[in-house]
This record gives sequence, C-alpha cells and structure tokens, in this order.
Amino acid sequence: MRIRKKEPEDVGLLFKRTKQEKLIFAFFFLLFAIYACVLIFPFIWLFLSSLKGGIEYELDNALKQAFALPDVAQFKNYFDAYSKLQYDGTNLWGMTFNSIWYTAVVTLEGVFFSSVTGYCLSKYNFKLKNLIYTIAVFSMTIPIVGTLGASFKLAADLHIYDSPLQPILSCAGGFGFNFLIMYGFFKNISWNYAEAVFVDGGSHFTAFFRVMLPLAKTPMMTLGIMSAINCWNDYTSVILFLPSYPTIAAGLYYVERELTRGYMPIYFAALFVSMLPIIIIFACFSDKIMKNFTMGGLKG
Amino acid sequence: MGGENFTDMSKKNIQSSKNTMQSKIKKFFSGQTGFLFFMLAIPIINWLVFWLYVNLNSILLAFQRASGGWTLDNFVHFWQSLTIEGNEMNISVRNTFLYFSSNLLIIMPIALMISYFLFKRIKGYKVFRIIFYLPCILSPVVLTTVFKQTIKPWGPVGVLAQELGFDYPASGLLGQASTATLTIIIYTILVGFGSNMLIFSGAMSRIPNEVLESAKLEGCGPFREIISIILPLIWPTISSAIVLAMTGLFTASGPVLLLVDGFNETSTISYWIFNKVNGNGYGGGGQYNLVSAAGLCFTAVAIPVILFVRWIMDKVTDAEY
Repeated sequence: MRIRKKEPEDVGLLFKRTKQEKLIFAFFFLLFAIYACVLIFPFIWLFLSSLKGGIEYELDNALKQAFALPDVAQFKNYFDAYSKLQYDGTNLWGMTFNSIWYTAVVTLEGVFFSSVTGYCLSKYNFKLKNLIYTIAVFSMTIPIVGTLGASFKLAADLHIYDSPLQPILSCAGGFGFNFLIMYGFFKNISWNYAEAVFVDGGSHFTAFFRVMLPLAKTPMMTLGIMSAINCWNDYTSVILFLPSYPTIAAGLYYVERELTRGYMPIYFAALFVSMLPIIIIFACFSDKIMKNFTMGGLKG
Repeated sequence: MGGENFTDMSKKNIQSSKNTMQSKIKKFFSGQTGFLFFMLAIPIINWLVFWLYVNLNSILLAFQRASGGWTLDNFVHFWQSLTIEGNEMNISVRNTFLYFSSNLLIIMPIALMISYFLFKRIKGYKVFRIIFYLPCILSPVVLTTVFKQTIKPWGPVGVLAQELGFDYPASGLLGQASTATLTIIIYTILVGFGSNMLIFSGAMSRIPNEVLESAKLEGCGPFREIISIILPLIWPTISSAIVLAMTGLFTASGPVLLLVDGFNETSTISYWIFNKVNGNGYGGGGQYNLVSAAGLCFTAVAIPVILFVRWIMDKVTDAEY
C-alpha cells in the first residue's frame, strides 16, 4: 500500500481551519468551481462544434440546438482547415510559418537586448548610467497616447512597412518591463564571477557571454516564454505593420471576416489547432511561469 | 638612395602608426568603454529612433496638416468631436472610462481575493490557478470567437437564457448599442483576473510564515488577516499594480475590433486610434495628424494624474519584513 507523503506545509498551523473558516472556504470553492466551468465550457463546445458538418452546424443553429452533439465526428475538418482556409493566398501552413518566425524574432531580440541593458546598467558605472535608467523607467510608467500614427509614418519613411525588417528593427530595444526584471536579477548577482574571468585573462565580453548570461538562464527563459506567448497571440501589430505576412492570430481574424456559410466548423477546427502550441508550451513550463512571475515595487 | 631611405622611413612610420591605431582599437573594444559602447549602441539607437523620434514627431504631426504646413485645426476638430454628444470620440472617451473603472474597481479587487484563497490553498488551488490563468495565454482571437458564438441567440448562452425566460435580443447582446459595451466589459472581467492574480499570489508567497502563524495563534480570522497583515505587507506590489493600471486611463479597452469592429457605440480611444491609423487595411488610413493631436491632449491630462497617483502611493508607508 502506498502512503501519500504530506508536504510539511499541509499539516502546519497555517492550513488548519476553524468551522467558520471551513464554511467560508467551501463557499469560495463553489464560486471558483463555477467560474472554472464558465472558462472551460466554451472550449468543450468549440471542440464539439469543430467536429460537426457544415450543414449540420447551420441546422442546429436554426433549430436552436446549441447543445446537440455531432451526428458523426468529422475529424476531416482538421485537415480541411489547412487546405480550405486562406487569406490573400496564405493558408494555415503559411500563417503558422509566419507566426513561428515573427515569434522567434521578437522574443529572441526582446530577451537578449533587455539582458544586455539590464546587465550593463546594473553592473557598470559610467556617465550616462543614471540618465538611461531614469529614461527607461519613465518611458515605461508614463502613458503616451496616440503615437501610433507617428510609428506608422516612420515605418513608411524607413521603407520597412509590410516587411520582415519592421519587427527586426523595432524590437531591438532593451527597455521596458523585461529590462526591469533583468536589471533586478543582475543587481543581485555577485561581481566576483566577472572578476574571476578578468583574472584568467578574459574580457568583458567573455564575462558576459560565458558566465553572466548562462547564470541568467532562468529569468531569461521565463521572460522568453511570456514574450513568445504574447507574440504568438499578437494580431494588432501584424494587422497594422505586416498585412502581407499574416500570422495565425491575424490570419484567423481576416479569415473570419470572409467566412461563408458552412465553413464554421472548419474555422473552429483551425482555432482549436492554433491554441495547441501555446497549451503545450504552458503545460511544459507552467511551473516556471507561475513561480518566477512576481513583481515588486517600481520605485525609481 | 636618399629618396629610397625616405620612402622606407615613411613606410615604417605609417606601419607603426597603423599598429598603434590597431592596438588602440583592440584596447578600446576589450576595455569597459568599448564593451559598453558595443553592447548599448543598438538598444540606444533603437530607443532614439522608435521612442524619442516617434514621440517628438507625434507632437509635430499634431500641429501639421496632412498636406503639410502648420495648423491648429487638428485640435479644433478633436475638441468638436469630443464635445458633441453621440459623436464617435465622445462615445470612445465614455467607453474608455468604463473599461478603466472596471479594471481598477472590479478586476483588481476580485483578483486580490482570488489570490488570497489560492495562497491559503483552497481545495483544488493548483488546478484553479492554471484554469484562471488560461485566458491570459490563449489567443484573444480564439477567446473572442468562442465568446461571440456562445452568446449568439442560437449559441449555448443565448438558448439557455431564452429557456429560462429572459428577453434575449434577436440581434444578440453584441448586436445592439444598449447591451454591446456592457457585454464586452463583462467579457474583459471574465478573462481579466489572470495576470493580476499571478502578481498578487507571488507577492503573498513572499510573506514569512512566522508572521501569519503568530497572527493565527492570536485568533486572527481570514478577514482580519487580509486587512491587517496581507494588504500592508504586499502594499508595494498593489501600489505598483495601481500605478500600472492608471497608465490605462486613456488606453483601457476591450477586444472591440474582434468582437464588433467598433459598431453599436462600442468604440474606445484605443480602437479609434487604431481605426484612424489603419483605415480600411493595407497602407493605413493616413489620419495621423488628428490621432497625434488627440493623443497629445490625452497625454497632457494623463501625465499629471499618474504622477499625482504615484505620489499618493509613495506616501503610504510600506510595511517592512
């Protein structure tokens, strides 16, 4: 017989509850369970609807049989999603390819450059250090509204509008929320590691690339996962600046606008497929995301 | 002969100055200054071009005509559309305040409450934490499509509401002005707890167990524990979250584009800006000047408000632990 070993916290004083507390917790458990069902149910409905035939789905709607199960599960909808749905000549394969390169470029650049700025500003003393730090915090907390027009004009003037160069150039900044996280991380790392490299004849580059960057693997990975999820789901930047390179999020938005009757279940299948990479990433790294994502006071 | 010697000497001089130059460059790049120059050059150039230039140009665009030349017409146009009841800008501002208020007054307090019960390990807390965070990682395109379909008159929510005897609009909740914005706000509330929940839970997990245990020994209940211990101890996190939420004073919005394309009086300032810049799609709408003028006015109001809120937040003393 296997006996479950209880975690020390489970049996601690903190988690012992009085009768009244148990009632309060039971009430909130019920609320949480209802809320969880509200969040989960639509996806079960989406999956079931993605298995219906086009005419069957329209008929069910006409008869207001929203809870009807599919007569026969049409798994071919998932194959049709890749061949039949397209926007401006780009099918779901093309959109997936665009999503992959767009996510990779924005994520790698964003995490790398915020690590660079975080490291340089936290570990070195130089003339412009305080000015750069103040500007970095200022530009993050001060809400400047309506610069989209100027950004759009700049992209047009630089001839990077609707070109992969647009995300490559515009995302090579190292400031913002990621910078603050990396700055805080490097601030707490001992400078002795770098000094050991200098004693062995290594340069500042060796210290950064060979020692400090590997030490920052955990926060960089957490920021990378968060950034990758955001980029994969980003549709507004793609609609605005890269209309000829629809990612899966932007592409599905375009597809829905042009959808004809009978194609809804295929579209639902495409939506379901588009969620899979994110769900897989989240399933693999949910612990990393949940544990490492904390925020302290922003006092600067 | 002499000429040859002179040539040799000058060659040697050039070679030695070349070597000195090379060693100087090598020294520069292997030293601290060179490292900082090399590493920070790209991020700083990027900031100068994509932040500073864009912001300065946005100010200049506000005072220019699309065809060129200086004018105050953009501000006049903006003010007129803001003050005419029922105008798109007027509606956008009203809706933006509704989204902003719902975030600050509904989403944040509820997220705080959810975080507390997850922190106190309510039954199934690990599963709840993952499910509640799901809307943050899933694509808004997927979430809004599913939401839109389920609340249609023939969708599960629509059918259920009609079965229960509610007067469900034939055009759906998003199909009429009287319910569309409220429906989108309810959507943003339903999917909006995730990130705040994670931030607050992270802050609560840093509270030393000894503090909570001694309070428990003194007979402190959940309500007292939240008010007297947890809130003061995680105040820096809460105040940061409030300041960040304040930055959404004029940018708060729901997925208006995905749900209704701005129809049925659902426009917000963010959507209005997007719409004016993007126009009908490829190539943009080109109304950059009006957008910049509106943005400049909103920013001029937002900055003092944010600084004031930040000042107030900093006045509240942090508990040290």
